[in-house]
Amino acid sequence: MLKVSSLEKRFGGLTALKDVHFSVTQGQIKAVIGPNGAGKTTLFNLIAGTLRPTAGDIRLDGEAIAGLPSSRIGMAGIARTFQQPQVFTSLTILENAMLGGHRYHRGDFLSCGLGLRHTRREEEKLRERAEKWLEFAGIGDIAHRNASELPLGQQRYVEIARAMATGSKLILMDEPAAGLDDTETRELGDMVRAISESGTTVLLIDHHMDFVMSLADEVLVLNFGERLAEGTPHEIQNSQVVIDAYLGTDDDA
Amino acid sequence: MSVVATLNKNPVRRNTAQVGLFLIAMLLVPVVFGTGYYLNMMIFIAILALPALGLSLLSGLAGQLAISHGAFFAIGAYGSAILSARAGLSPVLSTLLAQILVAVIAAGIGAVVLRLRSHYLAIATLSFAIIVELVIEEWRGMTGGMQGMLGIPPMGLFGYEASSDVQFYYVYWPITALMLLFALNLASSRIGRALRAIREGEPIVSSLGIHTAGYKTGIYVVSSVFAGIGGALYAHFVGFVTPATGSIMFAIEIIMVLALGGFDRLWGALIGVALITLLNEYALGFADYKKIILGVTLIAVMLVFPRGLLPGLIDLARHRRIARAA
Repeated sequence: MLKVSSLEKRFGGLTALKDVHFSVTQGQIKAVIGPNGAGKTTLFNLIAGTLRPTAGDIRLDGEAIAGLPSSRIGMAGIARTFQQPQVFTSLTILENAMLGGHRYHRGDFLSCGLGLRHTRREEEKLRERAEKWLEFAGIGDIAHRNASELPLGQQRYVEIARAMATGSKLILMDEPAAGLDDTETRELGDMVRAISESGTTVLLIDHHMDFVMSLADEVLVLNFGERLAEGTPHEIQNSQVVIDAYLGTDDDA
Repeated sequence: MSVVATLNKNPVRRNTAQVGLFLIAMLLVPVVFGTGYYLNMMIFIAILALPALGLSLLSGLAGQLAISHGAFFAIGAYGSAILSARAGLSPVLSTLLAQILVAVIAAGIGAVVLRLRSHYLAIATLSFAIIVELVIEEWRGMTGGMQGMLGIPPMGLFGYEASSDVQFYYVYWPITALMLLFALNLASSRIGRALRAIREGEPIVSSLGIHTAGYKTGIYVVSSVFAGIGGALYAHFVGFVTPATGSIMFAIEIIMVLALGGFDRLWGALIGVALITLLNEYALGFADYKKIILGVTLIAVMLVFPRGLLPGLIDLARHRRIARAA
């Protein structure tokens, strides 16, 4: 469903990503790993439209999305969660999740200001949709709390609920397990599996090797901006190039 | 309690109930206190509340600071004045038509200027305000130049024109209340939610597939039309307009109003306007010290309630309640 070919990103003289190609199939959980500075987050920013690629092609179900503004890519069906959870702290948890489904409704300035009935029906649908995904993320019971009151782990669940409420085909998760303890990481793993079972494809970055290896169907390894290896967790764990690249550079394994 | 719960579940009903009660209270004021000079001041509060509400929507809700609300007040005032006094349209019609002009200009300005952020946006809208002031001063044939325009017909329809303060009071306060209701509904709708999110982090809102530029332009247009309607109501109340109507000083005073009343609550705009109008009026006796009194009041409020009077007082009440419960 996602096909990336000969993707390149240069920042001035620095090449952050070079000739990266891989694909993600429908319903898969795919992980991107690599040492710090390997270009993982840059790759996500290119797919999500936060950055424009210098060269290369990104296709979502055949539709070329490389270089489009992020709102267009969001509309095409890609949602994301961030390394530092980005919840709207002045909104409630429910309102955060309601923003996920926002793009499906059309109530304009005039009809919202006049409080016309159809905008109120829309609002009801938005709320139901948001509540469903908050339940899914296990935070349905605190939906009316302010998002600023939440610890890091739960902020991540808010982000997941919000991303799922967008109804996207593909969800990009940038280090979802960062800063979580073992129990929380296990819960998160279950949630990612449930996301994948619901039919949404997952592409995630993470440093926790056991987390990634137990979860992913396939792994892509980046090193210094280049594609080093790609394969099943088993293949990657036994790949000599990967072991060489990681030895002495990463302490997570 | 159950009534309150129902109202909280449906923001449109809650807003309607609040504004309805408020309007009833306002309409009872002349009945209880009789007529008098104070009505004149109350009418000004109803008029000036409109640009303040408009700016509150733009700044408080969407987090964009513009210094163009004086300019749109002036465009609304001059537009409606020219259409009614020179072209002979009824004041109601000219008020509405002038808003089309305001909306078109605001959409054009917004499309260009809202790409800018924070203080750049303020500077760009300030430049626009300067241009509007120059055009009004120089386009003598149309605007009367520095002398301004006299003889603008009073607000009214089909020969029923408001002629006394009490009549203006009963025409203008319902208009302001309806505009307040519109603003409150907008703020509690999906659009308000998107705008509050844009204030916090526009890139994240985009990543949810939401076209943020459209929302920013939209709220800028709505916000400017609030100022434009205020301008037209002003013109048809005082009967004349001059370049001082909606000057840059006026735009800054509107910002002061929000600093006083509180940026992040629409009701705060009303409180701020009431306070500034009262201060302006009662500090009049101290002529030379008027500006000082205004300034000192503003500084005092900012020191005690950095977020403005209304949010500050609400926080204070909450703390009291929590302290008592503990």
